[in-house]
Amino acid sequence: MTETKPTTDDAGPPPPLAGLLAEFAGPEALVAAAEKVRDAGYRRWDAHSPYPVHGIERAMGIRPTLLPWLVLGAGVAGAAVALLLQWWTNAVDYPVISSAKPLFSLPANIPIAFELIVLFSAFAAFGGALVLSRLPQFWHPVFSAERFRRATTDAFFLSIEATDPQFDLAGTGQLLASLGATAVEACHEPAAGRKVPRALYVALAVAALLAVLPPLWIARARATTSEKPRIHPIQDMDFQPRYQSQAASPLFADGRAMRPNVAGAIAVGQLDADDHFYRGQLGGKWATTFPIPVTREAVERGRQRFNVYCAPCHGLAAEGDGMIARRAAERITGEQPGFATWVAPRSLHTPAVVEQPVGQVFNTITNGLNTMPAYAAQIPVEDRWKIVLYERALQRSQKARLEDVPEAYRSQLK
Amino acid sequence: MKPSPVLDTSERRITLAGLLPGLPRVLVVAAAAGLVLGAVLGARRGDDFRYFFHSYLTSYCFYLGISLGALFFVAALHATRAGWGVSVRRLGEIFAAGIGVLAVLFLPILLPMLVPVLRGRSSLYAWAGPEGIGEGGALLDLRFKAAYLTVPFFALRALGYFAVWWLLARFFLKHSTDQDATGDPGLTIRMERWSGPALVTLGVTGTLAAFDWLMSLDAGWHSTIFGLYFYSGAVVAAFAALILAAMGLQAAGRLTTAITAEHYHDLGKLLFSAVVFWGYMAFSQLLLIWYANIPEETQWYRRRLSGPWGWVALAVLLGNLLIPFFGLLSREVKRRKPLLAFWAAWLLVFHWIDLWWLVMPDLGSGDLMADPGSGGLPPGLIDACLWVGVGCAYLAGVCYAAAGRALVPLRDPRLEEAMTFENT
Repeated sequence: MTETKPTTDDAGPPPPLAGLLAEFAGPEALVAAAEKVRDAGYRRWDAHSPYPVHGIERAMGIRPTLLPWLVLGAGVAGAAVALLLQWWTNAVDYPVISSAKPLFSLPANIPIAFELIVLFSAFAAFGGALVLSRLPQFWHPVFSAERFRRATTDAFFLSIEATDPQFDLAGTGQLLASLGATAVEACHEPAAGRKVPRALYVALAVAALLAVLPPLWIARARATTSEKPRIHPIQDMDFQPRYQSQAASPLFADGRAMRPNVAGAIAVGQLDADDHFYRGQLGGKWATTFPIPVTREAVERGRQRFNVYCAPCHGLAAEGDGMIARRAAERITGEQPGFATWVAPRSLHTPAVVEQPVGQVFNTITNGLNTMPAYAAQIPVEDRWKIVLYERALQRSQKARLEDVPEAYRSQLK
Repeated sequence: MKPSPVLDTSERRITLAGLLPGLPRVLVVAAAAGLVLGAVLGARRGDDFRYFFHSYLTSYCFYLGISLGALFFVAALHATRAGWGVSVRRLGEIFAAGIGVLAVLFLPILLPMLVPVLRGRSSLYAWAGPEGIGEGGALLDLRFKAAYLTVPFFALRALGYFAVWWLLARFFLKHSTDQDATGDPGLTIRMERWSGPALVTLGVTGTLAAFDWLMSLDAGWHSTIFGLYFYSGAVVAAFAALILAAMGLQAAGRLTTAITAEHYHDLGKLLFSAVVFWGYMAFSQLLLIWYANIPEETQWYRRRLSGPWGWVALAVLLGNLLIPFFGLLSREVKRRKPLLAFWAAWLLVFHWIDLWWLVMPDLGSGDLMADPGSGGLPPGLIDACLWVGVGCAYLAGVCYAAAGRALVPLRDPRLEEAMTFENT
């Protein structure tokens, strides 16, 4: 049954033998034959069918592919690359806080990691399948056989390559024939040899050259100067539609682009509901008690803040003789113009001040009085209360009785 | 090539006949015992049955998910004209048919809201109480919610969901078993034609039901993806339950020729994809809320991610996604029954924990995790009672649906394709 057709004229010797191609009647015969060829110990051989034949892998003795492990590795690598890239760019190389999020935060990084897992896995699956299947392959022994064209329509083939260590023309041919092949044909090397077509090299070289052009063009643009304005492909980040302050807008009934706060809206944390603490009032009257714990630390803090904010006018002992008051008093005696409106700072030991409830003193610091400015903007609420506390301590010190002094120190005063 | 296998159609091979004859009665008794014991223990907590109802809702949604997921599977098989799945489709139809019992089991949740004496004392939904939707009624979405979350409308919607689900489950089971008798291929075409609308309807009703029954536990919170979050977990549970049911039946000598390693392989693939899809949904919900950082949205996660609930959240993440992802990744795992059974059981357990984590943090006062053993009870006892109680009731309904029916569509035109099917 072996028919070896000469593929060339008698003019020259035929090209060397490349392998044997056997045709089988159907998928069952192909699977049965594949089992025998596998058992005969052949290594470089293949089965060809128009559609996937179940069980052919087992019949051919093909071991499970390595591909899943490659894809898994690529996926893990994709996750690692994505996380490292985002960590390096966001947290190390160019740290910018965005939306009050941490510089490196996993939730924000997972979408990129997911995409790179998919991308790397897909590349590994595609490239790995090509490489493991030894593709692209420009020539195969079976291509020389005319009948092989039917392998994609209705014929079933088994091919054994001549490079297989077990291959010998007579013995292998006999084996294939004995397996029930309807035809066995010898395949020859192509007359032109197994060369890759020259046109392919040219096409690859052209593609590589073209691929180099855009980066070269960008490099040149970056290294040189130009009179022309730069190309600005994505506009909306730089030129966003927006209103200037005080501009008019047809969108709102009052025609103003700047929007006032919504009535009754209060920013988070700015409710300031505690009347005692924030306004020094209790039930509509000035508070006579402190909303903060009265401690030694609070008095110390109050003294420090008093010396910073109050003492320049009121004096370190609150007698109305601070540096500014003394200097002003000197100037006013010289009758310079411009000092006519000067009101001397008050001594805080006058009965009118001493008798004020602490809430009223707090209110004076907060909102100012006469020529004294408001200090709400400079001094936090709690510090204002501590200043009031210290002020009370100063007043007390001016009217101290012997009983106020601790017993151990009283003898020193006598 | 293997010869085409022949389906052994003797009654002992393809029906439940002769399998544990007293099973339905045992299931009914166990269901009653579990529910009663759960209620008694719930009363002992002295918290107005709040723990009892929250735990009941958790287990209820667990089995509801299996039923709805199975219905989704059946409709999806028809929509894709899948040949391979015919061997396991009847099991899905039977699991879906358990919806009738689940409709009855919903009454303990619904009835207390309708009884006039108890109005305003729903142990689950604060919005059903006298305070309604609560503070912040000026916000637009809360005004809408106040109109949506009313007791009559809630009850009407629940009625609608169950009507739709029951009709769909009934439709697929009836046409499929009719075909066993007549062999009419036109029935297959009819089921295929209706499978698309069925999938859309399932998506809408499943989403709204998840909104109504789970998301409205905290009426101030909303997440549009929440329905898919629930449904994707439900599909995971349904595939896991189908795999375990098929293995159990095969161990009992049923369907031994109809279901092969190839079917387990495909069910395993679907289980894996459902696991990944659940993860995708869960993360999508978290990412948007985390990034926008709006207090009315983050408060829901804050309760579930801080303190002891944070550890439960970690278990939900590891147990529902990261660990089973690698566990189910390999082809070998999906083709080996013991390994696949392990992961199916694992996912059922963690799906329940996922629902527990969704429901329980809304228990409110007397935080559960701070005081797990309140009332002198070991933690988890009420949950276990209700899991068994609701589960046995549901399984009794499934057994009732399976009784007298073949466990495989005997004369489906694609049955032979399913039995010879091979993963290449």
